[in-house]
Amino acid sequence: MKREDRKYYELDELKEKAPKLFGVPTGTKLDEMFWKVDFEGGRPVKKPLGGIPYLSIINLTGIPDSGKSLLAEQFALHQANQGYKVLFVTVESPANFLYTSLKTKSLYLGLDFERISSNIIVVDASENAELREDPRALMDTMAYAIKEKQTNNVIIDSITGLYEHKEMMARQIVRQFFNFLKKWRQTSIFVSQKRSAQGAETAEAAGGLAVAHIVDGSIVLDKKLIESRWEMSTYKLPIGSVIRTIRIDGCRLTGHDTRTWVFNISEGGTIEIVSPLEDLVRGGGDGGNR
Amino acid sequence: MEVIDKAVRDIDIDAMAEQVFQESINILGGLRKLIEYRNLTWLPSLAEAAYAVVMKEELMKTHKEIAFDLGLAPQTVQNILRADAKEVERFIKGEIEKVDEHKAGGIAKLAYERVKREKRITLKEGELEVLGVDWAIRVLMRLRGMDFPIKKEQLCDRIGGIVIKGKPFKTIVDEMKPLLGSPAEVLKEIKRIVG
Ligand SMILES: Nc1ncnc2c1ncn2[C@@H]1O[C@H](COP(=O)(O)OP(=O)(O)OP(=O)(O)O)[C@@H](O)[C@H]1O
Ligand SMILES: [Mg+2]
Repeated sequence: MKREDRKYYELDELKEKAPKLFGVPTGTKLDEMFWKVDFEGGRPVKKPLGGIPYLSIINLTGIPDSGKSLLAEQFALHQANQGYKVLFVTVESPANFLYTSLKTKSLYLGLDFERISSNIIVVDASENAELREDPRALMDTMAYAIKEKQTNNVIIDSITGLYEHKEMMARQIVRQFFNFLKKWRQTSIFVSQKRSAQGAETAEAAGGLAVAHIVDGSIVLDKKLIESRWEMSTYKLPIGSVIRTIRIDGCRLTGHDTRTWVFNISEGGTIEIVSPLEDLVRGGGDGGNR
Repeated sequence: MEVIDKAVRDIDIDAMAEQVFQESINILGGLRKLIEYRNLTWLPSLAEAAYAVVMKEELMKTHKEIAFDLGLAPQTVQNILRADAKEVERFIKGEIEKVDEHKAGGIAKLAYERVKREKRITLKEGELEVLGVDWAIRVLMRLRGMDFPIKKEQLCDRIGGIVIKGKPFKTIVDEMKPLLGSPAEVLKEIKRIVG
């Protein structure tokens, strides 16, 4: 049998095949929330990975308006700014909106947008039914872009938009894109939308079921309106304000922080992860005062 | 920021043009007919026309772009692309005596439609070259549209009647392996058996 045909490997042989483990930076604190374990003087030492795992496909999920697109765009900007090539597949928002959004953020962050935009190639499926409805056509088009631009990273915002009205196909479609991106060796982010009715902030509850089990890991974003006195005192926030959270909900490839973190959205539309939610709740006050 | 907002097909233009070329020959009654009627000189223009039609239809290229890519006069390409396939078809069938259209262009268009309509058979580069085209093309034409892999018995329905290098296919099939994965594999097996 030829070597490539084999389905089983000796563990030893896999050593050369296994990709090196390192982080692809997002430009947010997320980069420190994934980690790896190194051995120093025989003792295990936990070290930040510095980004999402190289060649992983990460599901970025959350209810509408929770900041998924902002985070995905920030990742694209950060990568492009470092000189890496990014393919951004926009399914919901037309390319000209994406352009404005990227430009604004890049100005806010003081980055060189000219350089960044030359490193980003966009496939706009938002207004093209063929690209949105026919996975084959979209994958052929992405393959073209990946080859032409020699991209390293791919973002699909959103994968949910590719199986609207055909939820039964969700698993199959997600699996196809997953395999496709593995084949092309792209570190990738799938944005997926969780209906707010689906409640709980787990990835499984998201649109969700299809995506979470297939991808290498999930990041869940959430937002919550402060509506009661009890919440005011718990979160130490005025009534009517919004608390936004982010959490790594699982990753097969590396260790990671499991806490829920609080983040803010800056005026420039960038994401700033502040502190673990538990610190906010614990820090100062006794939470009583009802 | 480069934006792609239409589907780009990752197609193999060469493979497709070759198929259209083969189908064009088929429409004219096969290579043998071309030889008998001393019409082999048509082959170059059929090849050009096959490329021109495929590039127009699959890559949406203009006649000027195609002319540039193929090193032809723009007028030639325009004649190919404007050829009235229906008229040319009537001419081939002998329904009309002469036709003013670009004949190869019309034939390539007919061939392209057939290739698109029927299930395509794709052969990898170089797979045909060792085979001596005449019988290979006849076999391929008959395999068109079949779903692979197939059992060798299924082949008899389609190509049972033909004789290859003096051997009836019915006897060739006995020596073939039971399961065939692709049209190319069928050809290779036949080649192995008839030598
Ligand atoms: N420049 C900005 N300044 C402040 N807030 C912003 C800015 N840009 C966007 N926002 C807010 O960020 C929030 C998150 O937006 P985002 O588009 O990332 O949501 P999303 O999770 O992708 O939602 P959807 O599922 O609808 O696509 C929105 O409420 C939006 O109003
Ligand atoms: Mg969004």
